[in-house]
Amino acid sequence: MNDHPHSHDDSPGLAVPAETPVDAGSQALSEALRSSFAIIRVVMIVLIVVFFASGFFTVGPSQRAIILRFGKPLGEGENALLGPGKLHWSFPYPIDECVKVNITGIQQVDSAVGWYAQTPTERLSGIEPPAPAGTPMNPAVDGYVLTADNNILHTRATLRYRINDPIRYVFNFVNASNAVQNTLDNALLSTASQFKVDDVLTLDVAGFQVAVRRRVMQLVEQQELGIAVEQCVVQSIRPRQLKEAFDRVTDAAQTRGKVLNEARSYENQVTNRSSADAESRINLAQSDRARLVSDVAAQADRFQEILPQYQRQPSLFVQQRLTETLGRVLTNVQDKIFVAESLDGKPKELRLLLNRELIKKAEEQKP
Amino acid sequence: MKRNPLTLVIGVLLIFIFGLWLFVFQVRTTEVAVVTTFGNPTRPITQPGAYLKAPWPIQKVWPLDKRVQNFEDKLTEGLTRDSFNLLTTVYVGWRITDPTAFFPKFVGSANPIGEAERQLEQLLGNAKSSVIGKHRLSDFISSTGNGTNFLAIENEILTTLQTQVSANNYGLGIEFLGFKKLQLPSNVSQSVFDRMTSERKVLADQLQYEGEAEAQKIRSDADRKAAEMLSSAEAQATQIKGMGEAEAAKSLAAFQKNPELASFLFRLNALEGALKERSILVFDQNTPPFDLFRGVSTNLLNK
Repeated sequence: MNDHPHSHDDSPGLAVPAETPVDAGSQALSEALRSSFAIIRVVMIVLIVVFFASGFFTVGPSQRAIILRFGKPLGEGENALLGPGKLHWSFPYPIDECVKVNITGIQQVDSAVGWYAQTPTERLSGIEPPAPAGTPMNPAVDGYVLTADNNILHTRATLRYRINDPIRYVFNFVNASNAVQNTLDNALLSTASQFKVDDVLTLDVAGFQVAVRRRVMQLVEQQELGIAVEQCVVQSIRPRQLKEAFDRVTDAAQTRGKVLNEARSYENQVTNRSSADAESRINLAQSDRARLVSDVAAQADRFQEILPQYQRQPSLFVQQRLTETLGRVLTNVQDKIFVAESLDGKPKELRLLLNRELIKKAEEQKP
Repeated sequence: MKRNPLTLVIGVLLIFIFGLWLFVFQVRTTEVAVVTTFGNPTRPITQPGAYLKAPWPIQKVWPLDKRVQNFEDKLTEGLTRDSFNLLTTVYVGWRITDPTAFFPKFVGSANPIGEAERQLEQLLGNAKSSVIGKHRLSDFISSTGNGTNFLAIENEILTTLQTQVSANNYGLGIEFLGFKKLQLPSNVSQSVFDRMTSERKVLADQLQYEGEAEAQKIRSDADRKAAEMLSSAEAQATQIKGMGEAEAAKSLAAFQKNPELASFLFRLNALEGALKERSILVFDQNTPPFDLFRGVSTNLLNK
């Protein structure tokens, strides 16, 4: 805007020498020069505007930007980070340089130093290439870790992390994700060297994972990687060569579980049955008791009733009672055998053939 | 010629920019730099910013990356103190710390970083084998001490390497160092496999026997508990019955009035009870009411 009055001021200046020449040609030339100067001027103004306008930039929602003025970050720590939602401006290069970093995006590294060699297809499909027992482990090809009890096993880990200090992460490392990966490898290795093989594989899988994660976080802090660990997943398996041996242990464990379950169900059955039995015995005893008491009481009552009758005529009463009872009882008796006294007074011998069934019956009646 | 002020301004600006380009250079936050005067390193610059220099060909600026470089060596074999062959790979985080020391040694080559790493690998190899030779295998892997031995070994290698690097005055700083691989030669791994296999077998057998023994224990415990329950129930039942008898005994007092009659009645009851079911009774004429037959000649007798 300020340039306009300038150009007005300039025109009379240029017009003064234009008065002297009379030559139409040179006049045309000066006209042409004048207009081309004006064009160049406009172009230059536009270029300057564009130059400064090119310093405007925005930051994406998952990004942070850092301005380097003469190569030095502008501001310290958190203050140096420019967030989204604003229009930012910096001097154009080479005064300022704007570096944008993806920060909220989750990054991932995998550690496979402790895993056997796998082709990408095998890895994707999860197929375990067979290795028959007896094939030695080739350290140049297959990775593995050593455990505290001197055993070999495979373990791998996936670490997901966020950049929480972009200045460190970006400006401190040539290849920060590589450094994170090394950290993960080392954490896996050093943690495995403190764990026993069964703890890693079965007994304390979660504990191993937590220990690896803790170690990674320690190392990240020590090495000032500027990241925050989001998730650390560890997977471990026995060497493929020992599949059979390990499977046998699993089988044994399952069999053990089965045997124990059977024993427990037996235990349940037996205790349930015996507690029911015990209950019923006690109930029986209680009912026996009640019956006995009431029986005896009833008999005593009856005794009280018949005592006066008896006292009136004791022998007659006894006779009558006995005969009456015998009569009643004898109707129930199946076989009645009467053996008359022989005339000579000698006892008679009588032989009976009792069939088995009857003997049995008789025996049963004894108790 | 008439001077246009704007053109003047622009001209000055251009000259200024050209001057800047000649006399000023930037060192980025990721870099250190060395300024050479006629090829001789005269000024190291370790802080980022803009600096002045004499124009080329008097002075020249050599920027160097000062970020941490990742370097890992190849799998190398080392003998532990107790004669185990241990294959190890170590990763190292290093950076250029002293550009004046670094510059004359490496910048002449086509790939200064690669050249430095080659030197580093040699020093690392020495440091590794000397440190590993001082330790037993059990220092590397053990569940005791919470991994402090492992860390101590790593630290030992780190300090050895740092001393050697500074002794050689390479201008490098070792930021951190750690094991990346720790393995055994393949013939040793085979014997480890053999041992693991036998360990597994022992474990499987142990699981089996333990399971059986425990199951047996559960069963016998159950049997014992059942027997205990029954016997205590039995005892309780006897007690209850005894209480019943004691209660009944109170009523028995009534029978005391005439024990003779009582005894008769009890016997009568018993007789009736005994002959309730199918039974065979053999008797002679002394038994009432068959005593009526006595002295009477019956067809039975004369048969």
